[in-house]
Amino acid sequence: MIYLLLIYAFIIIINVPGLIKRKEWRELTAFSILYAIAFALSLMYVLDIPVPSPMKGLKHLIVDILGIEYPQG
Amino acid sequence: MSIERGKINSQQLLFLIAGFVQGSILLIDFTVGITEHQTWMVILAGLAISAPVILSYVALAKRFPGMNLVQINDMVYGRFLGKAVSMYYIFFFVMTLSFNIRDVGELYVTFLMQDTPFIFFLVVFAATCAYAVTKGIEVLGRVSHLFVVTGLFVIISTFILLIDQMDFSNFLPLFELPFIRIFQGIHIVSIIPFGETVAFLMIMGRLNKTEHAVKRTFFGLSIGALSLLVVAVRNTAVLGRTQTIWTSPSFQSIRLINIGTVLTRMDFLIGIAQTVLIFFKCSLFLYVLVVAVSQLFGLKSYLPLVLPLAGIEVIVAATVFQSPVDHAMITQNAGIIYSVPLVFIFPPLSLLIAKIRGLPKFERGKET
Repeated sequence: MIYLLLIYAFIIIINVPGLIKRKEWRELTAFSILYAIAFALSLMYVLDIPVPSPMKGLKHLIVDILGIEYPQG
Repeated sequence: MSIERGKINSQQLLFLIAGFVQGSILLIDFTVGITEHQTWMVILAGLAISAPVILSYVALAKRFPGMNLVQINDMVYGRFLGKAVSMYYIFFFVMTLSFNIRDVGELYVTFLMQDTPFIFFLVVFAATCAYAVTKGIEVLGRVSHLFVVTGLFVIISTFILLIDQMDFSNFLPLFELPFIRIFQGIHIVSIIPFGETVAFLMIMGRLNKTEHAVKRTFFGLSIGALSLLVVAVRNTAVLGRTQTIWTSPSFQSIRLINIGTVLTRMDFLIGIAQTVLIFFKCSLFLYVLVVAVSQLFGLKSYLPLVLPLAGIEVIVAATVFQSPVDHAMITQNAGIIYSVPLVFIFPPLSLLIAKIRGLPKFERGKET
Protein backbone atom coordinates (compact mmCIF):
# COMPACT_ATOMS: atom_id res chain seq x y z
CA MET A 1 0.00 0.00 0.00
CA ILE A 2 2.78 2.41 0.91
CA TYR A 3 4.54 1.67 -2.40
CA LEU A 4 1.32 2.37 -4.29
CA LEU A 5 0.91 5.76 -2.63
CA LEU A 6 4.57 6.62 -3.25
CA ILE A 7 4.35 5.65 -6.95
CA TYR A 8 1.19 7.65 -7.51
CA ALA A 9 2.53 10.65 -5.56
CA PHE A 10 5.63 10.51 -7.79
CA ILE A 11 3.42 10.51 -10.92
CA ILE A 12 1.65 13.66 -9.70
CA ILE A 13 4.91 15.39 -8.78
CA ILE A 14 6.49 14.89 -12.19
CA ASN A 15 3.39 15.78 -14.26
CA VAL A 16 1.05 18.21 -12.55
CA PRO A 17 3.29 21.25 -11.72
CA GLY A 18 4.41 21.50 -15.38
CA LEU A 19 0.85 21.25 -16.69
CA ILE A 20 -0.38 23.98 -14.29
CA LYS A 21 2.60 26.20 -15.07
CA ARG A 22 1.99 25.93 -18.83
CA LYS A 23 -1.78 26.33 -18.24
CA GLU A 24 -2.51 23.15 -20.22
CA TRP A 25 -5.96 22.59 -18.70
CA ARG A 26 -7.14 20.12 -21.33
CA GLU A 27 -4.03 17.98 -20.77
CA LEU A 28 -4.54 18.26 -17.00
CA THR A 29 -8.16 17.08 -17.32
CA ALA A 30 -7.19 14.08 -19.47
CA PHE A 31 -4.34 13.28 -17.10
CA SER A 32 -6.67 13.49 -14.07
CA ILE A 33 -9.26 11.14 -15.62
CA LEU A 34 -6.69 8.48 -16.52
CA TYR A 35 -4.84 8.98 -13.24
CA ALA A 36 -8.08 8.42 -11.28
CA ILE A 37 -8.81 5.22 -13.25
CA ALA A 38 -5.25 3.94 -12.76
CA PHE A 39 -5.30 4.74 -9.03
CA ALA A 40 -8.72 3.15 -8.51
CA LEU A 41 -7.65 -0.04 -10.33
CA SER A 42 -4.36 -0.19 -8.40
CA LEU A 43 -6.18 0.34 -5.10
CA MET A 44 -8.60 -2.48 -5.95
CA TYR A 45 -5.67 -4.74 -6.78
CA VAL A 46 -3.82 -3.90 -3.55
CA LEU A 47 -6.95 -4.37 -1.41
CA ASP A 48 -7.67 -7.73 -3.12
CA ILE A 49 -10.96 -6.50 -4.60
CA PRO A 50 -11.56 -8.45 -7.85
CA VAL A 51 -10.83 -6.27 -10.90
CA PRO A 52 -13.26 -7.13 -13.74
CA SER A 53 -11.42 -8.57 -16.76
CA PRO A 54 -12.49 -7.09 -20.12
CA MET A 55 -11.51 -10.35 -21.82
CA LYS A 56 -14.09 -12.28 -19.77
CA GLY A 57 -16.84 -10.02 -21.10
CA LEU A 58 -15.46 -10.24 -24.61
CA LYS A 59 -15.27 -14.03 -24.39
CA HIS A 60 -18.88 -14.11 -23.19
CA LEU A 61 -19.95 -11.92 -26.12
CA ILE A 62 -18.04 -13.83 -28.81
CA VAL A 63 -18.31 -17.41 -27.57
CA ASP A 64 -21.57 -17.52 -25.59
CA ILE A 65 -23.73 -14.92 -27.36
CA LEU A 66 -22.42 -14.92 -30.95
CA GLY A 67 -21.40 -18.59 -30.79
CA ILE A 68 -18.10 -18.06 -32.65
CA GLU A 69 -15.45 -20.47 -31.40
CA TYR A 70 -12.86 -22.85 -32.72
CA PRO A 71 -13.49 -26.51 -31.82
CA GLN A 72 -11.35 -27.70 -28.92
CA GLY A 73 -8.86 -30.56 -29.13
CA MET B 1 -1.50 19.80 -35.50
CA SER B 2 0.52 16.72 -34.72
CA ILE B 3 1.16 15.67 -31.12
CA GLU B 4 4.51 14.07 -32.06
CA ARG B 5 7.28 16.22 -33.52
CA GLY B 6 9.82 13.43 -34.09
CA LYS B 7 10.42 11.99 -37.56
CA ILE B 8 11.63 8.58 -38.68
CA ASN B 9 13.04 7.49 -42.01
CA SER B 10 12.01 4.44 -43.99
CA GLN B 11 15.19 2.55 -42.96
CA GLN B 12 14.16 2.97 -39.32
CA LEU B 13 10.63 1.86 -40.21
CA LEU B 14 12.14 -1.36 -41.58
CA PHE B 15 13.87 -2.12 -38.27
CA LEU B 16 10.88 -0.99 -36.20
CA ILE B 17 8.65 -3.49 -38.03
CA ALA B 18 11.26 -6.28 -37.93
CA GLY B 19 11.81 -5.78 -34.16
CA PHE B 20 8.08 -5.54 -33.54
CA VAL B 21 7.41 -8.88 -35.28
CA GLN B 22 10.42 -10.47 -33.58
CA GLY B 23 8.89 -9.36 -30.26
CA SER B 24 6.19 -11.98 -30.81
CA ILE B 25 8.62 -14.90 -30.87
CA LEU B 26 7.41 -16.02 -27.45
CA LEU B 27 3.85 -15.97 -28.73
CA ILE B 28 4.28 -18.62 -31.41
CA ASP B 29 3.89 -21.01 -28.48
CA PHE B 30 0.14 -20.32 -28.74
CA THR B 31 0.24 -21.80 -32.24
CA VAL B 32 2.54 -24.73 -31.47
CA GLY B 33 -0.07 -26.41 -29.25
CA ILE B 34 -2.53 -26.37 -32.17
CA THR B 35 -0.42 -26.87 -35.28
CA GLU B 36 2.38 -28.98 -33.75
CA HIS B 37 5.07 -29.87 -36.33
CA GLN B 38 3.32 -27.92 -39.09
CA THR B 39 3.87 -24.56 -37.37
CA TRP B 40 6.46 -23.54 -39.99
CA MET B 41 3.84 -23.88 -42.75
CA VAL B 42 1.36 -21.86 -40.74
CA ILE B 43 3.90 -19.02 -40.34
CA LEU B 44 4.51 -18.91 -44.09
CA ALA B 45 0.77 -19.06 -44.85
CA GLY B 46 0.11 -16.36 -42.23
CA LEU B 47 2.72 -14.14 -43.86
CA ALA B 48 1.26 -14.72 -47.33
CA ILE B 49 -2.23 -13.76 -46.10
CA SER B 50 -1.14 -10.80 -43.96
CA ALA B 51 1.37 -9.22 -46.36
CA PRO B 52 -1.21 -7.69 -48.78
CA VAL B 53 -3.23 -6.35 -45.83
CA ILE B 54 -0.14 -4.85 -44.22
CA LEU B 55 0.80 -3.27 -47.53
CA SER B 56 -2.69 -1.72 -47.54
CA TYR B 57 -1.73 -0.06 -44.21
CA VAL B 58 1.26 1.50 -45.97
CA ALA B 59 -0.94 2.60 -48.88
CA LEU B 60 -3.32 4.20 -46.38
CA ALA B 61 -0.46 5.95 -44.56
CA LYS B 62 0.90 7.21 -47.90
CA ARG B 63 -2.52 8.51 -48.87
CA PHE B 64 -2.81 10.46 -45.60
CA PRO B 65 0.75 11.72 -45.08
CA GLY B 66 1.55 13.06 -41.62
CA MET B 67 -1.69 11.70 -40.16
CA ASN B 68 -2.19 8.95 -37.64
CA LEU B 69 -4.91 6.30 -37.47
CA VAL B 70 -7.26 8.34 -35.25
CA GLN B 71 -7.07 11.32 -37.63
CA ILE B 72 -7.59 9.03 -40.64
CA ASN B 73 -10.66 7.43 -38.99
CA ASP B 74 -12.13 10.87 -38.24
CA MET B 75 -11.64 11.91 -41.84
CA VAL B 76 -12.87 8.70 -43.47
CA TYR B 77 -15.80 7.74 -41.21
CA GLY B 78 -16.81 11.15 -39.90
CA ARG B 79 -16.47 12.57 -36.39
CA PHE B 80 -18.75 10.22 -34.46
CA LEU B 81 -18.31 6.91 -36.26
CA GLY B 82 -14.59 7.70 -36.64
CA LYS B 83 -14.26 8.17 -32.87
CA ALA B 84 -16.11 4.88 -32.28
CA VAL B 85 -13.73 3.03 -34.63
CA SER B 86 -10.74 4.71 -32.95
CA MET B 87 -12.01 3.61 -29.51
CA TYR B 88 -12.29 0.04 -30.79
CA TYR B 89 -8.61 0.35 -31.87
CA ILE B 90 -7.66 1.82 -28.48
CA PHE B 91 -9.34 -1.14 -26.75
CA PHE B 92 -7.28 -3.45 -29.00
CA PHE B 93 -4.06 -1.58 -28.11
CA VAL B 94 -4.89 -1.70 -24.38
CA MET B 95 -5.60 -5.42 -24.42
CA THR B 96 -2.69 -6.42 -26.67
CA LEU B 97 -0.22 -4.39 -24.64
CA SER B 98 -1.50 -5.90 -21.39
CA PHE B 99 -1.09 -9.43 -22.85
CA ASN B 100 2.49 -8.65 -23.84
CA ILE B 101 3.36 -7.13 -20.45
CA ARG B 102 1.81 -10.19 -18.82
CA ASP B 103 3.95 -12.45 -21.05
CA VAL B 104 7.09 -10.90 -19.59
CA GLY B 105 5.82 -11.46 -16.05
CA GLU B 106 4.90 -15.07 -16.83
CA LEU B 107 8.29 -15.64 -18.50
CA TYR B 108 10.17 -14.45 -15.41
CA VAL B 109 7.95 -16.08 -12.81
CA THR B 110 7.91 -19.44 -14.64
CA PHE B 111 11.51 -19.73 -15.79
CA LEU B 112 13.88 -17.20 -14.31
CA MET B 113 12.88 -15.82 -10.88
CA GLN B 114 10.17 -17.99 -9.38
CA ASP B 115 10.18 -16.41 -5.90
CA THR B 116 9.74 -12.78 -6.98
CA PRO B 117 6.18 -11.36 -6.92
CA PHE B 118 4.52 -11.29 -10.35
CA ILE B 119 3.37 -7.66 -9.99
CA PHE B 120 6.96 -6.51 -9.39
CA PHE B 121 8.00 -7.56 -12.91
CA LEU B 122 4.96 -5.87 -14.42
CA VAL B 123 5.63 -2.57 -12.62
CA VAL B 124 9.35 -2.48 -13.44
CA PHE B 125 8.77 -3.50 -17.05
CA ALA B 126 5.95 -1.00 -17.62
CA ALA B 127 8.01 1.78 -16.01
CA THR B 128 10.94 1.01 -18.35
CA CYS B 129 8.63 1.05 -21.37
CA ALA B 130 7.11 4.35 -20.14
CA TYR B 131 10.60 5.85 -19.93
CA ALA B 132 11.32 4.74 -23.52
CA VAL B 133 8.01 6.22 -24.71
CA THR B 134 8.74 9.62 -23.14
CA LYS B 135 11.83 9.78 -25.39
CA GLY B 136 9.59 9.63 -28.47
CA ILE B 137 9.38 7.57 -31.64
CA GLU B 138 12.51 9.14 -33.11
CA VAL B 139 14.70 7.68 -30.36
CA LEU B 140 13.01 4.27 -30.61
CA GLY B 141 13.58 4.39 -34.37
CA ARG B 142 17.27 5.27 -33.95
CA VAL B 143 17.95 2.28 -31.65
CA SER B 144 15.63 -0.18 -33.43
CA HIS B 145 18.43 -1.86 -35.41
CA LEU B 146 20.19 -2.83 -32.15
CA PHE B 147 17.12 -4.77 -31.00
CA VAL B 148 16.78 -6.53 -34.35
CA VAL B 149 20.48 -7.47 -34.41
CA THR B 150 20.29 -8.79 -30.82
CA GLY B 151 17.26 -10.90 -31.73
CA LEU B 152 18.88 -12.23 -34.91
CA PHE B 153 22.13 -13.01 -33.08
CA VAL B 154 20.37 -15.13 -30.44
CA ILE B 155 18.10 -16.88 -32.95
CA ILE B 156 20.92 -17.74 -35.37
CA SER B 157 23.48 -18.70 -32.70
CA THR B 158 21.07 -21.01 -30.86
CA PHE B 159 20.07 -22.58 -34.20
CA ILE B 160 23.72 -23.30 -35.01
CA LEU B 161 24.47 -24.66 -31.51
CA LEU B 162 21.51 -27.05 -31.77
CA ILE B 163 22.20 -28.35 -35.29
CA ASP B 164 23.69 -31.63 -33.98
CA GLN B 165 20.49 -32.37 -32.08
CA MET B 166 18.11 -31.69 -34.95
CA ASP B 167 16.13 -34.46 -36.55
CA PHE B 168 14.40 -33.25 -39.70
CA SER B 169 12.17 -36.32 -39.85
CA ASN B 170 10.24 -34.58 -37.04
CA PHE B 171 8.56 -32.51 -39.76
CA LEU B 172 6.90 -35.59 -41.24
CA PRO B 173 4.18 -36.44 -42.05
CA LEU B 174 3.19 -33.29 -43.88
CA PHE B 175 -0.48 -32.23 -44.08
CA GLU B 176 -1.46 -34.58 -41.27
CA LEU B 177 -3.51 -32.20 -39.14
CA PRO B 178 -7.21 -31.43 -39.78
CA PHE B 179 -7.87 -28.29 -41.82
CA ILE B 180 -9.64 -26.46 -39.00
CA ARG B 181 -6.54 -26.63 -36.81
CA ILE B 182 -4.34 -25.33 -39.62
CA PHE B 183 -6.89 -22.57 -40.23
CA GLN B 184 -6.90 -21.62 -36.54
CA GLY B 185 -3.08 -21.63 -36.56
CA ILE B 186 -3.00 -19.34 -39.61
CA HIS B 187 -5.56 -17.10 -37.92
CA ILE B 188 -3.41 -16.84 -34.78
CA VAL B 189 -0.22 -16.11 -36.74
CA SER B 190 -1.88 -13.62 -39.06
CA ILE B 191 -3.26 -11.68 -36.08
CA ILE B 192 -0.62 -11.96 -33.35
CA PRO B 193 2.72 -11.22 -34.93
CA PHE B 194 1.67 -9.87 -38.31
CA GLY B 195 -1.77 -8.28 -37.85
CA GLU B 196 -0.65 -6.36 -34.78
CA THR B 197 1.45 -4.24 -37.16
CA VAL B 198 -1.78 -2.29 -37.70
CA ALA B 199 -0.38 -0.28 -34.76
CA PHE B 200 2.13 1.15 -37.26
CA LEU B 201 -0.69 3.23 -38.73
CA MET B 202 -0.10 5.40 -35.66
CA ILE B 203 3.63 5.64 -36.52
CA MET B 204 3.83 5.77 -40.31
CA GLY B 205 2.53 9.34 -40.31
CA ARG B 206 5.90 10.34 -38.81
CA LEU B 207 7.83 9.12 -41.87
CA ASN B 208 9.91 11.93 -43.37
CA LYS B 209 9.68 10.40 -46.87
CA THR B 210 7.15 7.78 -47.90
CA GLU B 211 8.85 6.84 -51.22
CA HIS B 212 10.38 3.53 -50.13
CA ALA B 213 7.85 2.76 -47.39
CA VAL B 214 6.23 -0.21 -49.19
CA LYS B 215 9.54 -1.91 -49.96
CA ARG B 216 10.99 -1.30 -46.48
CA THR B 217 7.82 -2.43 -44.72
CA PHE B 218 7.80 -5.65 -46.68
CA PHE B 219 11.50 -6.19 -46.00
CA GLY B 220 11.03 -5.55 -42.25
CA LEU B 221 8.10 -7.93 -42.20
CA SER B 222 10.21 -10.56 -43.98
CA ILE B 223 13.02 -10.27 -41.40
CA GLY B 224 10.47 -10.71 -38.61
CA ALA B 225 8.77 -13.64 -40.34
CA LEU B 226 12.13 -15.30 -41.06
CA SER B 227 13.02 -15.03 -37.36
CA LEU B 228 9.74 -16.69 -36.39
CA LEU B 229 10.30 -19.37 -39.02
CA VAL B 230 13.82 -20.18 -37.80
CA VAL B 231 12.54 -20.48 -34.21
CA ALA B 232 9.64 -22.73 -35.26
CA VAL B 233 11.93 -24.94 -37.37
CA ARG B 234 14.50 -25.14 -34.55
CA ASN B 235 11.94 -26.11 -31.92
CA THR B 236 10.26 -28.74 -34.10
CA ALA B 237 13.55 -30.22 -35.33
CA VAL B 238 14.96 -30.46 -31.78
CA LEU B 239 11.90 -31.36 -29.72
CA GLY B 240 9.71 -33.13 -32.28
CA ARG B 241 6.23 -33.99 -31.03
CA THR B 242 7.19 -33.28 -27.42
CA GLN B 243 7.22 -29.54 -28.18
CA THR B 244 3.48 -29.40 -27.51
CA ILE B 245 3.85 -30.50 -23.87
CA TRP B 246 6.28 -27.78 -22.81
CA THR B 247 5.16 -24.39 -21.52
CA SER B 248 7.88 -22.78 -23.63
CA PRO B 249 9.37 -24.95 -26.41
CA SER B 250 12.09 -22.33 -27.02
CA PHE B 251 13.37 -22.55 -23.43
CA GLN B 252 13.23 -26.33 -23.52
CA SER B 253 15.16 -26.64 -26.78
CA ILE B 254 17.84 -24.14 -25.67
CA ARG B 255 18.31 -26.10 -22.44
CA LEU B 256 19.44 -29.05 -24.57
CA ILE B 257 22.48 -27.17 -25.89
CA ASN B 258 25.54 -29.08 -24.77
CA ILE B 259 28.77 -28.40 -26.61
CA GLY B 260 31.51 -30.49 -24.96
CA THR B 261 29.92 -29.91 -21.52
CA VAL B 262 31.31 -26.35 -21.72
CA LEU B 263 28.51 -24.50 -23.48
CA THR B 264 25.48 -25.57 -21.46
CA ARG B 265 22.52 -23.87 -19.69
CA MET B 266 22.18 -21.34 -22.49
CA ASP B 267 18.55 -20.57 -21.62
CA PHE B 268 19.63 -17.21 -20.22
CA LEU B 269 20.21 -16.19 -23.87
CA ILE B 270 16.53 -16.73 -24.62
CA GLY B 271 15.64 -14.88 -21.42
CA ILE B 272 17.72 -11.87 -22.50
CA ALA B 273 16.55 -11.92 -26.13
CA GLN B 274 12.89 -12.27 -25.28
CA THR B 275 13.02 -9.57 -22.61
CA VAL B 276 14.76 -7.17 -25.00
CA LEU B 277 12.42 -7.91 -27.91
CA ILE B 278 9.20 -7.79 -25.87
CA PHE B 279 10.44 -4.56 -24.30
CA PHE B 280 10.79 -3.09 -27.78
CA LYS B 281 7.37 -4.31 -28.85
CA CYS B 282 5.69 -3.11 -25.65
CA SER B 283 7.39 0.30 -25.91
CA LEU B 284 6.02 0.69 -29.43
CA PHE B 285 2.58 -0.45 -28.32
CA LEU B 286 2.56 1.88 -25.31
CA TYR B 287 3.67 4.74 -27.56
CA VAL B 288 0.86 3.94 -30.02
CA LEU B 289 -1.70 3.70 -27.22
CA VAL B 290 -0.64 6.95 -25.58
CA VAL B 291 -0.61 8.86 -28.89
CA ALA B 292 -4.02 7.41 -29.87
CA VAL B 293 -5.62 8.39 -26.54
CA SER B 294 -4.02 11.87 -26.68
CA GLN B 295 -5.28 12.33 -30.24
CA LEU B 296 -8.76 11.26 -29.18
CA PHE B 297 -8.75 13.83 -26.34
CA GLY B 298 -7.33 16.45 -28.77
CA LEU B 299 -4.23 17.15 -26.66
CA LYS B 300 -1.10 19.09 -27.67
CA SER B 301 1.29 16.57 -26.08
CA TYR B 302 1.06 12.90 -25.20
CA LEU B 303 3.64 13.02 -22.38
CA PRO B 304 1.25 13.63 -19.42
CA LEU B 305 -0.68 10.44 -20.26
CA VAL B 306 2.30 8.06 -20.40
CA LEU B 307 2.50 7.16 -16.69
CA PRO B 308 -1.27 6.95 -15.96
CA LEU B 309 -1.75 4.66 -18.98
CA ALA B 310 1.26 2.55 -17.96
CA GLY B 311 -0.35 2.26 -14.49
CA ILE B 312 -3.65 1.08 -16.01
CA GLU B 313 -1.77 -1.42 -18.20
CA VAL B 314 0.01 -2.95 -15.20
CA ILE B 315 -3.26 -3.69 -13.40
CA VAL B 316 -5.02 -4.92 -16.57
CA ALA B 317 -2.03 -7.19 -17.26
CA ALA B 318 -2.07 -8.53 -13.70
CA THR B 319 -5.79 -9.29 -13.63
CA VAL B 320 -6.87 -9.99 -17.23
CA PHE B 321 -6.24 -13.75 -17.04
CA GLN B 322 -6.26 -16.11 -14.08
CA SER B 323 -3.42 -18.34 -15.29
CA PRO B 324 -1.17 -19.00 -18.31
CA VAL B 325 -3.66 -21.72 -19.41
CA ASP B 326 -6.55 -19.22 -19.27
CA HIS B 327 -4.31 -16.79 -21.21
CA ALA B 328 -3.68 -19.34 -23.98
CA MET B 329 -7.31 -20.55 -24.15
CA ILE B 330 -8.82 -17.06 -24.49
CA THR B 331 -6.13 -15.79 -26.89
CA GLN B 332 -6.58 -18.80 -29.20
CA ASN B 333 -10.31 -18.06 -29.51
CA ALA B 334 -11.94 -14.77 -28.47
CA GLY B 335 -8.61 -12.91 -28.50
CA ILE B 336 -7.99 -13.47 -32.19
CA ILE B 337 -11.63 -13.27 -33.29
CA TYR B 338 -12.43 -9.78 -31.94
CA SER B 339 -9.38 -8.26 -33.64
CA VAL B 340 -10.25 -9.49 -37.16
CA PRO B 341 -12.21 -6.34 -38.16
CA LEU B 342 -9.41 -4.08 -36.89
CA VAL B 343 -6.68 -5.92 -38.77
CA PHE B 344 -8.36 -7.17 -41.92
CA ILE B 345 -11.47 -5.07 -42.51
CA PHE B 346 -11.16 -1.43 -41.37
CA PRO B 347 -7.80 -0.48 -42.97
CA PRO B 348 -8.61 -1.80 -46.50
CA LEU B 349 -12.15 -0.41 -46.12
CA SER B 350 -10.76 3.01 -45.14
CA LEU B 351 -8.51 2.91 -48.20
CA LEU B 352 -11.46 2.05 -50.42
CA ILE B 353 -13.66 4.78 -48.94
CA ALA B 354 -10.81 7.30 -49.23
CA LYS B 355 -10.40 6.39 -52.92
CA ILE B 356 -14.13 6.64 -53.64
CA ARG B 357 -14.52 9.94 -51.77
CA GLY B 358 -11.24 11.31 -53.13
CA LEU B 359 -9.83 11.86 -49.64
CA PRO B 360 -7.87 13.62 -48.34
CA LYS B 361 -7.57 16.13 -51.23
CA PHE B 362 -11.30 16.82 -51.15
CA GLU B 363 -11.18 17.55 -47.40
CA ARG B 364 -8.13 19.76 -47.79
CA GLY B 365 -9.84 21.62 -50.58
CA LYS B 366 -12.86 22.13 -48.38
CA GLU B 367 -10.77 23.33 -45.49
CA THR B 368 -8.81 25.88 -47.47
